[in-house]
Amino acid sequence: MSAILTAENLYHRVPTSEGPLTLLNNISLQLARGESLAVTGASGSGKSTLLGLLAGLDKPSEGRIWLAGEEITAMDEERRAALRARCVGFVFQTFQLLPGLTALENVMLPSELHGERGAAKRAQEFLARVGLEHRLRHYPRQLSGGEQQRVAIARAFASFIADDAILFADEPTGSLDAGNGARIIDLLFKLNAESSTTLVLITHERRLAERCVGHLYMAAGCAEQSASVSNESNLPEESA
Amino acid sequence: MLPLRLLFRDWRGGELALIASALVLAVTCVTAIAHFTDRLTRAMEQQSLSFLAAERVLRSSQPVDPAWLGEAKARGLTQGQTIQFASMISANDQFQFVSVKAADGGYPLVGHLEMRRAQDAPSETAQQGPPPGETWVEPRLLPLLGITLGDAIDLGDTQLKVTGLLEREPDRGTSLFDMGARLLVHVNDLPASGVIQPGSRVRYRYLFAGDGRVLEQYFDWLKPQLTEHQRVLDLREGQPRVASALNRAERFLFLAASLAVLLASVAVGLAARRYGLRHAAYVAVMKSLGAGRNKVLTIYLGQLAALTLIATAIGLALGSVIQAQVVNLMAGFFPVLPPPSHWSPLLVGLATGFACALGFALPPLFRLARTDPMQTLRKDWSNPDQREWLGLILGPSAMLLLIWWLSGSLAMTLALLAGMGLLVGGSALVNQLLVHGKLAALGGAWRIALGSLQRRAAFNTLLIAAFGTGLLAMLALIFARTALIDEWRMQLPEKAPNHFLLNITPTDIGGLQQILDKKGVSSSEFYPMVRGRLIAINDIPTKDLKDRPNGVRRELNLSWTENLAPDNRILEGEWWDKARKGVSVEVELAAQLNLALGDRLRFSIGGLEVEAPVASFRSLDWNSMRPNFYMLFAPGTLEGFPATYITSFYLPPQDKLLVNDLVRSYPSVSVIELDKIILRIRDTIGQVSFAIESVMALMLVAGVLVLIAGVRASIAERLQEAAIIRTLGGRRRLLVKSLVLEFGLLGCAAGLLAAIGAEATLLVLSHRVFELPLVLHPTLWLLGPLAGAVLVGTAGTLACYSSVRQPPLKVLRELA
Repeated sequence: MSAILTAENLYHRVPTSEGPLTLLNNISLQLARGESLAVTGASGSGKSTLLGLLAGLDKPSEGRIWLAGEEITAMDEERRAALRARCVGFVFQTFQLLPGLTALENVMLPSELHGERGAAKRAQEFLARVGLEHRLRHYPRQLSGGEQQRVAIARAFASFIADDAILFADEPTGSLDAGNGARIIDLLFKLNAESSTTLVLITHERRLAERCVGHLYMAAGCAEQSASVSNESNLPEESA
Repeated sequence: MLPLRLLFRDWRGGELALIASALVLAVTCVTAIAHFTDRLTRAMEQQSLSFLAAERVLRSSQPVDPAWLGEAKARGLTQGQTIQFASMISANDQFQFVSVKAADGGYPLVGHLEMRRAQDAPSETAQQGPPPGETWVEPRLLPLLGITLGDAIDLGDTQLKVTGLLEREPDRGTSLFDMGARLLVHVNDLPASGVIQPGSRVRYRYLFAGDGRVLEQYFDWLKPQLTEHQRVLDLREGQPRVASALNRAERFLFLAASLAVLLASVAVGLAARRYGLRHAAYVAVMKSLGAGRNKVLTIYLGQLAALTLIATAIGLALGSVIQAQVVNLMAGFFPVLPPPSHWSPLLVGLATGFACALGFALPPLFRLARTDPMQTLRKDWSNPDQREWLGLILGPSAMLLLIWWLSGSLAMTLALLAGMGLLVGGSALVNQLLVHGKLAALGGAWRIALGSLQRRAAFNTLLIAAFGTGLLAMLALIFARTALIDEWRMQLPEKAPNHFLLNITPTDIGGLQQILDKKGVSSSEFYPMVRGRLIAINDIPTKDLKDRPNGVRRELNLSWTENLAPDNRILEGEWWDKARKGVSVEVELAAQLNLALGDRLRFSIGGLEVEAPVASFRSLDWNSMRPNFYMLFAPGTLEGFPATYITSFYLPPQDKLLVNDLVRSYPSVSVIELDKIILRIRDTIGQVSFAIESVMALMLVAGVLVLIAGVRASIAERLQEAAIIRTLGGRRRLLVKSLVLEFGLLGCAAGLLAAIGAEATLLVLSHRVFELPLVLHPTLWLLGPLAGAVLVGTAGTLACYSSVRQPPLKVLRELA
């Protein structure tokens, strides 16, 4: 299987008043198309920073990243954004729906940003797939947390244009109760399988991490498991 | 069109309402004020133009080349003509010296004549003078000649029938040609009368009206051909005093408009800043979904352009409707109904809309486009990019250019800049004092209020500056207006002399003085007057001077006196106490002529030349309505020349018949009745005052609305804070008290700064623009903080009251 995401010797440092602070320290990984990777670790271990770098939201201080066959570390912000538009989807812990837009309009947004035709039809299809076809005209404030996250998942899958799609999920169940969380996880994996997308998710939940093919445990910016996810990975107890 | 779709959706969600409202408010206020000032200015101009009876006048002592008039006709200009001279008329063997005005059918081109067709008939307006063979006379001529309406009078060799009593001419002036009672005749009667002979002193006035640009082009063509005996008069040259009042009024009204613009910009800036902060999360999400910086910028610039266009269009419409309603409602207050305004106020509104939007809403949008998409992962919505330099440069620059354009005065613009600079610096300082003060020790509501002030330290600096600007504008307006009106009123004292007696021979002085004394009328000194022309300065002929000032292009009235008049003041040099030779020169003329003490001035008087050194420079008050002279000689210099005397006095209306006694006893003495002219000047000033009051009222409304807009910008944060405090057991009363304290303190601080800024602005404006004496205003220092506390305290508390009333659970759920 060909790699859709490769990171090589990533370092990330930020300047502080007390000198540079290293957030990521020599991280390498490789992920094949259709696989899933769970990133776990304590708060402040660098999970979100790594996710942002892998998705091209920011550039590492050192190291190289290839996403969908293109080296995003060699791209400027505009080109990285264009690549994200083609093949990256996001699901956030706090949903990040635009409160001024209805559920349908939120899901339409990525397609509209890319100037695609038929945005409304595509958005309706995905909202139907997450079971919200009856809530199209509702604003986020009129939806429950679980419903908002389902809208966010619909938006993420609706944003994929290319076949080499990769979904980044940042603690997707972090703001939900156990029941809603379980339903969201089921939905996420179901759509992932249906769409043959690749999944990278940050989670604190052992149950969720166990459903992923690969696992990366992080501590103080370092990866304790740094290998191709296609290999067998062990989930450390303390990450659960 | 994604930006439009997003704009519509965002609007529906309520996110853009505040910025749009601020923009609509800005454009509405400015458009209304611009319309209003445009209409009033044009009304004043129209009224003032009637003083000329035309839009432009070509004055000449000789008939002009007919080709000039032909050219004006070819260019489509409307024309009229008057010929003025002094002459004797007779009837029933009675003779009377009169001021004759012969007019053609075109006179007056602007304004109208007022006359009566019978002694007891009502006054009526006339758009032209009498037809050939008839004459209209001033009523007091009838008893002087012993005639009644319908009788004939002899003017030279022709006989004219008196068919009307002339009550008012729009262009009745105070020159030599307007002395004596007026006789208005048709210009076609002059040739037969034979009264105008070669060498007669006659003033020809050619009147023009028409399209402003055509007029401009025509006079550009004509001016190079004029001789030194010919002069073009427009509104400003024709009536210097009215022009000066109008000039001041224009400046003041534009100052008001400029301040309205400033207030509006603050509202837009506050709303835009809030908008930018609220949208940081949106942009981060958009970026994570694949929108690049350029895409984000395109979306938001598109939104801003659409929003600005829509809001500006609404503002223009509202402003136009409001001003029309205000003018209609107040129609009864105006001496004349202001004419409809031009399209230019719409241009001002449009420019304001875009200046506000681009200057104040653009910087937050640029910051938005730089939002880091990593924020979505950090869950941190505070905008890390707090660089305000673009906003600090772009907004004020846009406003300054706009104000400069509106006011046309760099001095006024810089004065405002100085005030604003002081205010922003002071805001930061006062905010620090508040934040680090010990008021929190007072406990309860004080602690909450101070806590709220501390939490929004940076934003409060902006709020203090914003409120300060509003208050500064109002205080500066109130005090400038007061000073301006006072100055105007001082210009025309209640018992200003309203009659001038000229052509008094030395032998008449005693008798005239006796008549005046008998009636209890106190007159000014009798000043001798000799007509002469300044022909050389230090042996350099004045005709060679560059940009020859008015004082050397015409004959001057030269006088001499032992005593300095009370309204005259020696600024440099000596009065006659020590140096009993030379000439004292009015200071402004001296500056125009670039004179220094000791310069030798040579005058031509009746063909003879007299030279005198400049002994002093003297300021004088033309508004005192007393005889005043550019050149006052030392006694003994001009006594050899034949002189007539001049004096002025105040005559109450009930003693008006005294004029007849004087003219009957001394037929050679000419009387100038200033009371009628003063009445017209008072009308004009009354209108100007009303205009200022009206603009003030609109400014106050604009100011209060802008303050509310500023407070509303922070409503979401306040909702959350209030909800948390109430959840923790805080009572609504406590929250209301803390709001009153918070905004009262802010208002007090803003008021204090505004007082400082307004005082500085007033000092600069007084000195540089209005040319008023420098005076400090202690009441301003009391009124500023008090007005600030009351105004901001009330507006802020009312605007935030909803945050206290909302059920805390609802607020917390919605904000989550």
